[in-house]
Amino acid sequence: MISLVEMRNITKKFPGVTALSGVNFDVQPGEVHILLGENGAGKSTLMKMLSGAYEPTEGVMVANGKEFPRFTPRISQENGISIIYQELSVINEISIQENIFVGKLLTKSFAGMKTIDNKAMKQRTIEVLNEIGLKRSPNTPVEQLSISEKQMVEIAKAVAFDAKVIIMDEPTSSLTREEINQLFEIIERLKKQDKGIVFISHKLEEVLAIGDRVSVLKDGQYMGTYPISEMDEDKLVKLMVGREIKGTYLQDPEKDYGNEVIFEVNNLTRKDKYVEDISFKLKKGEILGFSGLVGAGRTELMEAIYGAAPVSSGEITLYGEKLHIKQPHDALKSGIALVTENRRETGFAPFFSIKHNLIQAKYLKESKFGGITGLISPKMEEVVSKEQRKAMQIKCYSINQIITELSGGNQQKVILGRWMASSPRLIIFDEPTKGIDVGTKSEIYKLMRKLAEDGIGVLVVSSELPELLSTCDRIIVFNGGKSRGEFLSTEAGEEELVLAATTS
Amino acid sequence: MKTKTESKKKTLNDYWSSYSTIVILVLMVAVFSALKPKAFLSTNNYVKIIEQSSITILLACGEFFGIILGGIDLSVSSVMALSGVVCAKLMVAGWPPVLAVLVGIILFGAVVGAINGLLINVTKLPPFIITLGTQSIFRGITYILSDARSVSGISTGFTKLVGGKIGGVVPMPIVISLVVALILIFFTMKTRAGRNIYALGGNSTSAYFAGITTNRHQLLCFVIAGICASLAGMVNIARLGSAEPNAGTGYETYAIAAVIIGGTSFFGGQGVIWKVVIGGLIIGVINNGLNMVGLSSYYQQIAMGVLIILAVTLDRFFGASKNK
Repeated sequence: MISLVEMRNITKKFPGVTALSGVNFDVQPGEVHILLGENGAGKSTLMKMLSGAYEPTEGVMVANGKEFPRFTPRISQENGISIIYQELSVINEISIQENIFVGKLLTKSFAGMKTIDNKAMKQRTIEVLNEIGLKRSPNTPVEQLSISEKQMVEIAKAVAFDAKVIIMDEPTSSLTREEINQLFEIIERLKKQDKGIVFISHKLEEVLAIGDRVSVLKDGQYMGTYPISEMDEDKLVKLMVGREIKGTYLQDPEKDYGNEVIFEVNNLTRKDKYVEDISFKLKKGEILGFSGLVGAGRTELMEAIYGAAPVSSGEITLYGEKLHIKQPHDALKSGIALVTENRRETGFAPFFSIKHNLIQAKYLKESKFGGITGLISPKMEEVVSKEQRKAMQIKCYSINQIITELSGGNQQKVILGRWMASSPRLIIFDEPTKGIDVGTKSEIYKLMRKLAEDGIGVLVVSSELPELLSTCDRIIVFNGGKSRGEFLSTEAGEEELVLAATTS
Repeated sequence: MKTKTESKKKTLNDYWSSYSTIVILVLMVAVFSALKPKAFLSTNNYVKIIEQSSITILLACGEFFGIILGGIDLSVSSVMALSGVVCAKLMVAGWPPVLAVLVGIILFGAVVGAINGLLINVTKLPPFIITLGTQSIFRGITYILSDARSVSGISTGFTKLVGGKIGGVVPMPIVISLVVALILIFFTMKTRAGRNIYALGGNSTSAYFAGITTNRHQLLCFVIAGICASLAGMVNIARLGSAEPNAGTGYETYAIAAVIIGGTSFFGGQGVIWKVVIGGLIIGVINNGLNMVGLSSYYQQIAMGVLIILAVTLDRFFGASKNK
């Protein structure tokens, strides 16, 4: 069988870094080819060569049996290669139909003029939506759709123009379990139409469930391509990180944390009522998790504690000291840190170097009058950022690199390092491993445990139940802005937690 | 992955983004020197250009703090006129010049800047809207205070000191604008508040979540802009010997142009003061040079417009290829 696309012996060098070396990758009709690797392993770089954004330093690109030194976006398009990025690119303000045909309107001849052929586009949209099973009218504005439906619109866009190879970059990262099953059904249908699917994911169970073959990258090295039937989770992890991550259960069920409460929230209610009457205690040494569906009030609670959202009533006590937090700066001053869910929007300073990001919180905490006093200390910056680079194992070739040059996992480490440098007393993690690979994940889990052991309070919000169960001692389940129960993670099962989160 | 090449080899693009403003300045000077070697190529003329640029530089240094936030301050020219008139009135009323200058700057520079900042903080409206409004309000107040007439009778001690030359050689306006520029270079590069302002301009939401007091820093920026504008007002009345209520009309365009030609990103978070100073000098060279060549000020406006578009386009062209 002829491959739809093939990449032979691809090497890509950037100044100072070899991002990929000697990678072979091909996509057959009717298969799901998994691309697996940690963050920074080179997956995006490889895909950017398929889309034509990057030129390989060495190697040959093949499409439909024809060889090219590189793909241009045009070659890529002509050969039916279509990428669906993790951050969806649909336009919210216009309809499904308009989204599908944006920039490629169908035309007809009317009185000798080229005019837009709405009828044909509607016809085609209905066909395509049927094909992938999205039960919506072509005129529905995209902003009314759920995230998974928006993703389906992107897939429809690819299908409408006869894409032969559809690349999905971590398509399941913001989907619920049910939506993931739906996506898998669509993928099965696309397979039957002889399309080749490239599926990028960190979630090993998904990889095993949907894949036909898997190619693994590790630090830019090609670890080989294997049939999924020969693989299991342990083998995949071993290929990805070169070590086995078994039994990440870090908490000790026998451990008694005593009665020293370091952090306490009493009857906290937000002004906008997104969170109502929340109370909990955190003992020294333990990690407290917050579970629930997206929008259940977990992130909203953390924002309220951190001062990023106004509170109407309630008390917050840290190490016996009653706090009056009106803005994030007050939280920082009291030693509360928040690692937010969206690194790009609420995390780092985009034009700053790694070093300048790392030093930020320490400066702010040590300055007076709302962080405006004090001078820059190049020496301290150097010392602190080198320390944190080592402690957080940030992969970079210089601490003077701009943070946006790093992979997501490394950016997360910089943000963590920034908080650690300010010696916090309580760290709140909101979806700390979103879009982060297995290896970095386990590093972050270990770090959380170590923080707790050192007497720093740790709160974790996560949508991944296995993550909460394996890292937290206790889990509070949220539903509709209220707490629906508290569970010991060594005793609770996933079913129990899901039940509390979904029934009121 | 861990190849250690700390000193990346610099490309043409890197050099361009670092030195583009200087290159433009040198080119301008070279062109005019070739066209009018006798008149243009003299120390006297150079000093004159810098002196003429000093007001633009002062305004631009303040404007920088509006633009670095991703905003703008359209009121700098009105603040310049207002504080000039206030200061002149106080001196005419018999206040000692030192006190008049201090009050003029602190009251009608810092406070007026703070009004801009507070309005933006409270209303959450874009700085463009607020300062478009205050530009008109401040100008109106200036006309009312001065009865729309020029205020004369300023103490000659003041005009001689602020408008004169040190040792008969170095004009005081140059000294004032350079000292202000140096203080602000220090402020932006060496203080934590300066660093925070860059973070705020780069992404205000992430800055807020990182614990930066966004309102306070924003306020600080507009206060600095106000102080710089009122300093420009001082220099202006000292040079003219009187305070004109219509002084500086349209100068905000020069200030914005200097900031932009100086390579400051209009989206905020990126830019440096010393290049803004060069940007101000470039505008001075254009005006002076075209004068020498015998072209009217209408051509100067065209030249400045072309240069703004050209400078930003070149930055885009070179800057964009860097990201690929």
